[in-house]
This record gives sequence, C-alpha cells and structure tokens, in this order.
Amino acid sequence: MNYLLRGVWLAAALVTMLAPISAHAQVPKGKLVLYTSQPERDATQTTTAFKQAYPGVEVEVFRSGTTEVMAKLAAEFAAGAPKADVLLIADAASMEALKKDGRLLAYPEAKVAGLAAGTYDADRTYFGSKLITTGIAVNTAAKSRPASWADLAKPENKGQIAMPSPLYSGAAAIMLGTMTARPDLGWAFFEKLKADEAVAVRGNGAVLTAVASGEKPYGVLVDFMAFNAKAKGSPIDFIFPAEGVPAVTEPVAMLKTTQNAAAARAFIDFILSDEGQKLALSMGYIPARASVGTPSWLPPGMVIKLMPTDIGNVVQNNSANLKRFAELFGN
Amino acid sequence: MADTAGWRERAEETALLWALVAIVAILSLLPLARLLFEGVAPGGRFSTAALTSVLSSDTTWTAARHSLLTASGGTVLAVLIGATVAVLVGLTDIRGRNTFVFCFVLPLMIAPQVVALAWLQLFGPSSTLLKMIGLAPAMGSRNPLYSGQGIILLLGVQYAPLVFLTLRAGLRTLPQELLEAGLAAGAKPATILRTIVLPLMTPALVAGIALAFVSCLGNFGIPAFLGIPGNYLVLPTLIYQRLAGLGPSVLSEVAVLSCLIGFIAVLGIFLQDLMLRRRDFRITTTSNAMRPFELARWRLAVEIALWILTIVVLVLPLVALLLSSLVPAVGVPLTMKSATWSNYDYVLFDHAAAKRAFVNSFSLSATAAVVIVLVAVPLAYFLVWRRSRLLRVLNLVTEMPYALPGVVLAIAAILVFLKPLPVLGVTLYNTVWIILFGYLARFLVLGLRPVIGGYYQLDRTLEEAAQLAGARLLRRLATIILPLVAPMVIAGALLVFLTAFNELTVSALLWSSGAETLGVVVFSFQQGGDSTYAAALAMLTVAVTIALMLSTLLTGKPARGVLPWRG
Amino acid sequence: MARLIVERVTKTFGAFRALDEVSLDVSDGEFIAILGPSGCGKTTLLRQIAGFDKLDGGRIVIGDTVVSAVAQHVPPERRRIGIVFQSYALWPHMTVAENVAYGLTVAGVRDPERARRVEAALALVELEGYAARRPSLLSGGQRQRVALARCLVTEPSLVLLDEPLANLDVHLRASMEDEFARFHARTGTTMVYITHDQAEAMALADRIAVMDSGRLLQVATPSQLYREPADTTVAAFIGEGIVVPAEVVDVDGRGRCRVDLFGMSVGMRCAPAQRPTRAARACLRAGNLSIVGAGPPGIGARVVRSIYQGGHFRIEAQLDHADGVLVHLELAEPCQLAPGDAIRIGIDDGWVLPGTGGDVDAAATAPGARRRPDDGAVATDANG
Repeated sequence: MNYLLRGVWLAAALVTMLAPISAHAQVPKGKLVLYTSQPERDATQTTTAFKQAYPGVEVEVFRSGTTEVMAKLAAEFAAGAPKADVLLIADAASMEALKKDGRLLAYPEAKVAGLAAGTYDADRTYFGSKLITTGIAVNTAAKSRPASWADLAKPENKGQIAMPSPLYSGAAAIMLGTMTARPDLGWAFFEKLKADEAVAVRGNGAVLTAVASGEKPYGVLVDFMAFNAKAKGSPIDFIFPAEGVPAVTEPVAMLKTTQNAAAARAFIDFILSDEGQKLALSMGYIPARASVGTPSWLPPGMVIKLMPTDIGNVVQNNSANLKRFAELFGN
Repeated sequence: MADTAGWRERAEETALLWALVAIVAILSLLPLARLLFEGVAPGGRFSTAALTSVLSSDTTWTAARHSLLTASGGTVLAVLIGATVAVLVGLTDIRGRNTFVFCFVLPLMIAPQVVALAWLQLFGPSSTLLKMIGLAPAMGSRNPLYSGQGIILLLGVQYAPLVFLTLRAGLRTLPQELLEAGLAAGAKPATILRTIVLPLMTPALVAGIALAFVSCLGNFGIPAFLGIPGNYLVLPTLIYQRLAGLGPSVLSEVAVLSCLIGFIAVLGIFLQDLMLRRRDFRITTTSNAMRPFELARWRLAVEIALWILTIVVLVLPLVALLLSSLVPAVGVPLTMKSATWSNYDYVLFDHAAAKRAFVNSFSLSATAAVVIVLVAVPLAYFLVWRRSRLLRVLNLVTEMPYALPGVVLAIAAILVFLKPLPVLGVTLYNTVWIILFGYLARFLVLGLRPVIGGYYQLDRTLEEAAQLAGARLLRRLATIILPLVAPMVIAGALLVFLTAFNELTVSALLWSSGAETLGVVVFSFQQGGDSTYAAALAMLTVAVTIALMLSTLLTGKPARGVLPWRG
Repeated sequence: MARLIVERVTKTFGAFRALDEVSLDVSDGEFIAILGPSGCGKTTLLRQIAGFDKLDGGRIVIGDTVVSAVAQHVPPERRRIGIVFQSYALWPHMTVAENVAYGLTVAGVRDPERARRVEAALALVELEGYAARRPSLLSGGQRQRVALARCLVTEPSLVLLDEPLANLDVHLRASMEDEFARFHARTGTTMVYITHDQAEAMALADRIAVMDSGRLLQVATPSQLYREPADTTVAAFIGEGIVVPAEVVDVDGRGRCRVDLFGMSVGMRCAPAQRPTRAARACLRAGNLSIVGAGPPGIGARVVRSIYQGGHFRIEAQLDHADGVLVHLELAEPCQLAPGDAIRIGIDDGWVLPGTGGDVDAAATAPGARRRPDDGAVATDANG
C-alpha cells in the first residue's frame, strides 16, 4: 500500500478561525489511556485542552521516548493485555508496523477533509497530526550556511556534523529511508557524510545540544527543536535545504483493544479538529491542517519543499537500510 | 521431649530461609525467567528463530566482546582509583578527610550522561580549559572520548566511588596491632599495604570489584553518549538499538541479548567466588581501630593530588551542570546579563510533576535502600555461613537485574505484573509499587555485595557465642550481627539510595501519572530538547542530597565509623 | 543433670574422617580435658557437643536429653551450654556488662535481677570496676575473664573451654589456670576443656581424654595417663615417653613382669593380663634411666646432645644396639658429658604397652615409627 506524501504547499497567511467543535452523537466519558512520545510540555497541553473540550473523559498519560513507548507496548502485547487506548507517536513507520500486526482500529468516519493528502493512512487507521521536518541546523558562529544537503556533505565540513542515529531513532530511520531512496542523494550522500566523519548521536536532543553548544557547528535536526531553542536565545539557525526535507507526521491512532472507543475517537477528532491543530501550531509545529496557519518561525511566503516518503517502502527496507548504515558508520 | 526440643528454632530458620529464597526468586529470577520465556517462545509458541538469528549475528559478538572489554577495563580503572583513594583516606593522615570523602562519593549522584557530556566538552574543540592551556584540538577534529578507551575512562571514573565505599567500610574493621606487627617485623608501609592490608581486605575489595564490573557491564548512559557516535556497540546499546527497530520479534531478540549479558555477569560472580575461596579473612581481635600512617613530607602532595581528582570527577561535571542550568537556552554564553534563575523557577514552581517526582524518588529510593539491606543481612548470613545450595544458585541471578539495561528489567516487570496477581487479585501495574519492585530487583545486588564482604571479615565465634547464650537466629541477626556488619550495611544502603535516587531507565517505562520519578522528569526534559530544565532539576537533586548528607553530621551520634564521611 | 555422654560419634568432611567413633562419658561436675595435637579432631568434637555441626553417626546426650543424633539435632541455643572461645568472641559493640548480660536478656531475665546477676558474675572473675568498659580497652586476661563471666552468668549445665589460654602469656596462664580450678571448685559445673598443652591439662583436669587423628586413644586420670599410657602414640605424646621394642619374658599376673630390653633384663610394670611375647613395646620415662658404671647391667650408648636446663642437664643419647633409637635422661650438676662420649644406661622401671603382643612384625619396626596405614602424619611431638 503506497500513499505518498508529496509536495505539500503550506499557505503563509495565518488564518484566524474559531470554529466550534463539531457536535458529537454521544458524549464520550470514562477513562482514556494515552501513550505518547510528545515532549512533556506538549503532552500536558494537549491533554489539558482535550479535557476542556471533553470534560467527561479522564485522561491518563504515559509519556516517554518513542523507543520506550513502543517497548512498553510490545511488552503489554506479549503479556496479553495492552492498556493503551490511543497512541500519539512520532513516526508513521511505527504505526505501519502496528497496523501490519493488526493492532490498530480503523476510524473510517474520521474528519480528514482539509488534511494534507498523504498525512493519513488510506485505510484510516492512523492520522498525521502535524509535520515535523528534518533540515540542517547551524550554529550562528559557523563559517558557512549550507544551502542544500549536498553543501552539507562537502569535504570542508569534515568533523563538524552531528546527526541523529537511525539505529536508535525511528524518525531518523524514516529520514534514512526517504533520502537513500532518492536518486539525487541516495547512499552516496551518507557515504560522503561518513567521509566527513559526521557523528550519529542517539537522538535529536543530543544533536541540538551539540550544535547549540558549538561542539559541532552543523547538525541534521528537526525543525521545531531548532526554532524553539532559537526563540529562547540559543545561537542556532535552521535551514530548509534546496533538495527538500523529509518529514514525520506524529500520527494519532487507536488500538483495537481499546476499552473506550468512544473517547478514543473523540481524542482523534480533537487532534484533527481546528482547535487541536491550532494547539499544535501554538507549540511551534506545522499543523497537518493547512487552513489553521503556519508557525511564526516560518518566514511569510516561505515554501517548504517536502521529500516524498513511501512509508511502505521504508518499513520494508528498514532492516536492510539499518544494517547498511551500521556497516557504513562502523569503525 | 527430645523430639520437640528446638523445633521452634528450626521452624524459624526454615521459614526465614524459604522467605529469602522466595524474595530472591521473585525479585531476580521471576522477571528474567518470564523474559527468557518470551525469548524462546514468543507469544507462547516455541521458536528458536530469535535465538539463532541473534547468536549467528556478527554484531552480537562484536557487542559482547566490546561489553566484556569495556566492563573489564572500566573495572580495573575504578579499582585503581577507588582503592588508592580508600587506602589514602583510610590509612594515612591526610587532612580534610570527611570533606574529601563527601566529595568523592557525590559523583554517584550525577547521572552518567551528565558526566559524559562534561567530559566531552572538556576534551572537545570547544573546551575552555584546553583553550586556556593551548591544547584544544582543532575545530572538527574527532573527540578522542568517542571510543572504547573513552568509555572505559568514564566508566572507571563513574564507578570508582563504588569500590571506594566498600573498601572504606572494610578498612574500618582493621585492627591496629595487625599493622603494628608488620611494622615491628621491619616492613615498610608499602609492604604492609601489600602483604597485610590488601589481603585482609580481599572480601571488601572483591565486593567492590564485583559491583564495579556489573555496573560497567549494565551501564547504558556512557556508551550511549560515547559509543553511538563512534558506532562502538556494547550489549546495552545493542539492546536499545533492537528495541528501536521495528518488527514483531523485538522482545525475543532483546530477551536473548539480555541472557548474554546475564551470562557475562554470572562469569563475574564465579570469579568472585574463586577469589574468596578457601581463605581466611576474619579479623578476630577487638582492639581499637588503627592509627593513621604519617605521610610526612608527602602529605601535601598527596592532598593536592586527591583534590585534583575531586575537581576532575566532581567539580567539573557539577560546574558543567550548574552552567547549563543558569543559561536561558543551550549554547547561550553565560554572562552576568544572560544568567537566569528561570529554569529553577520553572522546575520548582511551574512544574507540578517535578515536586511530586522529588517526593516519589526520595521515598522510593529510601524504601528500596531499607528493604534491601533488611533482606541482605539475613540473605548474606545464609549465603556465607550456611552455604545453602539453593540460595547459592539464586545468588548468581541477583546480579542480572543490575547488569541488564534498566529498560529490559522494566519490560520484564511489565510482562510479570501487567495482569492482576494470582490469588490476591491486586494489580501492581501503573502503581508506584511496580517501580519499587523494579528498584528492589535492580539494586538488591548493590546492597548485598558489601554485606557479604562484611560477613567474610567477621569472626563467626561472635555469633556462636550469642547462639550459646540462647539467642535465636532473628535475635542474633538483630543484636549481634547487624551491629557488627553495620559499616558495610550503611555502605550498601547508601549505594542503593544514591543510585536509585538518580535512576532513569527503569522508571522510564514503569511510571504512571502521579508516580513520576526524578529520572523520568529529567529524561522528559532532555528528550524534548529542554536540557536547561533538566540541568536545573539535576542541580536541585544534588543540592538536596548534599543537604541530607550534611544533616547526618549535625544530628546526634550514630555509631562511630558507620557513615563513610564521618571520621 | 549435666552428665555428658558421647557415644560412637562420627563426623566426616568429604573423605576425611574428622571424628571416628568417639565415645566419652563425663560425669556431673567433672572437669575433663580433651588433649591432642592440632588437627586431631578435638575442636570438631567440641563443635559437635555445642551443636554447631550435625554429626554423621552416634549420639550425644547432655543430662537426660539426646541433643545430637543422626536424625535429631537440638540447636546450640537450646542446649544450655557455655563456651569460652579461644578468641574470646566478645562483642565489640557492647560494654563488658552488656556482654555478660546478653544471655540473661535473651532468657527474659530483667533488671534488677539481671543487674544483680551480672554484678555477681563480674565479681566472681574480679572485674567489678570494668562493667562500663568496651572489650577493646581490656587486656587479654581481662577479656578472658569477661568471656568466662559471660558464659557462666546463665548457669549452664556444661561449660566448654576451647583452648582458652592459648592467647595468653605464661604468667597469665598460670594465674588463669588457678582461676579455672577455683571456679570449677566453686560452681561444680561440668567442664570440658580443649587444649593441646598437656601441662595445662594435667594441672586442671580430673581426667584427660587423649585424641589423635579423629580417634579417642585413652581416657584416664593425669597420673594414670602418665604411668600407664594405652599405646605408643599416647606414650610418646604424654611426657615425652621413650618407646622401645621389648621382649616380655615372664609375667606374674599381678602387674609386674620381666622384660628383655636390648639384651638387658629389666623388671617393669604391665597390665595384669599381659602375656609373655617377643614383640612387645615398652614406654620408658626419663626418670627411669640413669648412667651406670661398668658393673651393673646397662646398655651402651653415645651422647648426642647435652642441654643445661637449670639445676640439671638433659642428656640425649643414641643406643648402640638399635640404630635410630634416641633416649633422653636427666643428670644433676655437675656433668662433664659432651657429644660423642660413650656411656652406659641403666633402666630401673618401665611400662609395657598393652595390646602390643602377638604382633610379630612390631619388633622389627623402628620405635615411634609404628603408624596406622591411614595416618601418614601423626604428630608425635605435641608441643611442636
């Protein structure tokens, strides 16, 4: 099953909308268990806003890294009693794996109108909530500002690049799968990075620290982390490379084993609603629903060129890609 | 009447023995057995697919070799540093001993990744210190710490206090006349150290070595920081890598890899047993503790060396932590103008979970420390003096929960406790109790090893005298043995408390709303890129711990020589 | 109430037989010493009596109670036994008074009764002023006395003393020996005293049990042990007996006999049941030997060593007849003998070791070298 996430053009104007939440056939109530890999503060804001919209629902959150959330889920599956009702995790590849195992419950009535095509599963099992792109972060003191991935991989940047390791991060694995599938970059790009002695660190947080502290002037990093740090004063800039940026969609989905399908559906509704999308926008993300606007860090008129990602292909080639990467970057 | 004589004693001992067997089995064996079951029978169907795929992979054996190498290297370094410092502090007349001990054990409180980061910055191109002395590597040159040697160096520094604490507790029992006998025989202090002190301290030293080894083996933070960039895999990072991979066989592979770590840990215990076998370490005299050796003209030099060590292992990472906690965002240079308390403000007042986490972590670690030593004292009794075969087998498994990455133990705990307990019908999952279980299982060995070392140094006639006085086992344990092994018990409890307070990986999977731990909150901040908040919270943690340790200096009079930082 | 019976007690550690069917009957109030070289099994026996180890065969009865048998084991804390350990085993974290009071506290005795008894026990060992001290501040002798007070305060039915004087200096030993003797007289407690020092055992004990290689060789009063040792090991161990091959020529059935010793005829003591034999062994004491002139019967010998021992000389000589046989005797001052001098030794008494007849080979074996096949390492020099 291929569905492509291609060339989404985001409008620059911020549209003010105060649309009320659509009426619900039956008022959801009871307990809802959410497993998420959102950053702590975002997770708190999301659940708080959801509870305001649905006062009858009590939300219990487990928040951790994507790897930890998936490991907890795997253990719960193995023990035969998954506790989660809904998931909100960073990458579609993990969702795709869950879907393949038959763990996800489809929600055909989900309101996908207005969502960028390709951000949600054609079978309506998971729905991208936002776009998190990966571009080039540079320390403001860096000698140059690479305008493209090809620039970044040039020999003069030898020893000055940090990137998240796809061996340890699902989002980075999608980046690897997306970029190696392109003829203009491909494995040659990663071979050049290797020749430049780029270091692959455990996650985006570590890349941010390395770039902002000047340890490595250049980094492969997700957009919002760079911009949030910049907003707080970190000496960091974010560049959208000319070839385009790979993106993850932080999808939301409900499990087949949910104890409270009504509340789970309400949660998906909320995340995809204008209100939920505006919340994502206020946190500094690019919302999946273009109509609610773009984050303030995007210069007006700025156009983001997304690299198409064939999720099915990424999942299929994942282990081969990781193996090749491990060999390439092995000592 | 002859038949009934002593049945109460026997019943009491048998009950205690079986209770201990049950506790150790539940803490150490049950989760691992459950995990292993997942390894060979994923989803209940027997399959050797994971076993063969993991064991036939070159990556696995590379990681195992690296694990063995870094754990051994780290242990050797930790023992060199820890033992040297313990001997200098314990046997010589250096000044400011209490302050020094205090500073030397504190790094246990600082998360390995914080230490790793501080060291990376120290040796990296942006190092202020190296720039000052003109030795800073050129921009872009590869940091030498991103290597196996770097991992060994940091593991050694991180775990030197473990060796130090166990050895120091042992040195307190050394009687003066044993050293005087050596001096009288014409031996120089160095000879006495080599021929009398160290041989008698073997049990404490071996306990320290065993702990350092298993700590190095199970450490994830340092190889994650230093090994991933250089693609230097060890088993814990390989496990994490497998967890991050997609696919249904994740747990099976993780289980098989865990067994491999467990196997290496067990090798360590066999070695420990071998070192302690058939030798007599008992110190039978009851004389005063020894008088320190005079360093004379070397004293100042030694003191300076020790304080330089302190600066490197404590002050440096602490200052790095402090600096990151005072800037508004990562990378902002710290000036009088940019410095801010806002990070502290946020974690103290705006972030409800941080306060809760503090209370949770404190009560969890304190409870774990107390429960573990309460189990360790009778457990060590049966292990060392009764040599119960069943317990000796179980003893091998106690190391495993500590040798495995915390996330694996957490997975195992989930497998066991997800469903309500049989008979009781109570569910531990999603309560604070499952975290306590994780802590007890993981840190049991930290409390147990020092106590076992203490038993080896104890003259058993002291217990036998009490037995003949009519005291039953529980009474002997409470009134005779506990006071006699108290220094080792405190050392063990302290290790458990400091390590658990700062723990990150077990609770990362086991916490639930309201049951956050400090580790979870720090981890969350770091993952979200909010490392300034993380630094502020970590600083507060260290500050509170220092305050707690200081308060022990002011309160009443606990038995002399029990707290390591009290002369 | 406190009779101690040890019946055919056996204990093995792997293939090693630490106790081999040891039997001993100690009557109420008796002071018995268990004497033997280190490694002979005496400490193993003590640990059996105390109940620290389980036995593999036989049984032990204290008073009317079987405390140890193969299928039955009363734990030490129920045996009402006191032990004074070689290391004293005083608890360093308690004061002297707390050490002594421990057994009473355990037994549920409370103040003021407990305080009174502790005080009395300390008075008994003359340590009244030391109640509040820590053991580490006491001298060796004082520690020993605290250990004694601690073990006696609970009025045990049986007191075991495990080499209690081994760690003390000579002067202190003598005074502690007195102390034990007075103590035994005053309390009338049954005492089992483990030692390797025969002088100590002889001075203190009503009877002495000699052990070697896990076996009990002889139980007898000190004088009987000295005069009539049961076998060559005891003979050689106690009082440095000289064991020589002998031929019993004639017996009178009342404990006297005539023995041919290297061709010399000597009148000796023997068991009434002793029968004439060519292959006997005799135990000679230094006091039975003297240097004689050419006239009286004597055996030719050569002086090996002459040692001055204050008031007398100890002469060690090698007999001309059987090579390797060393004898020793005492000679009053003045004495001009030097190594190499030829002398003649006269013998006026001796003891024919019982049970050595009928063993034809024995005569051919060198004295002192007669060993059981299973014990290659019997130490015949107990004080070595």
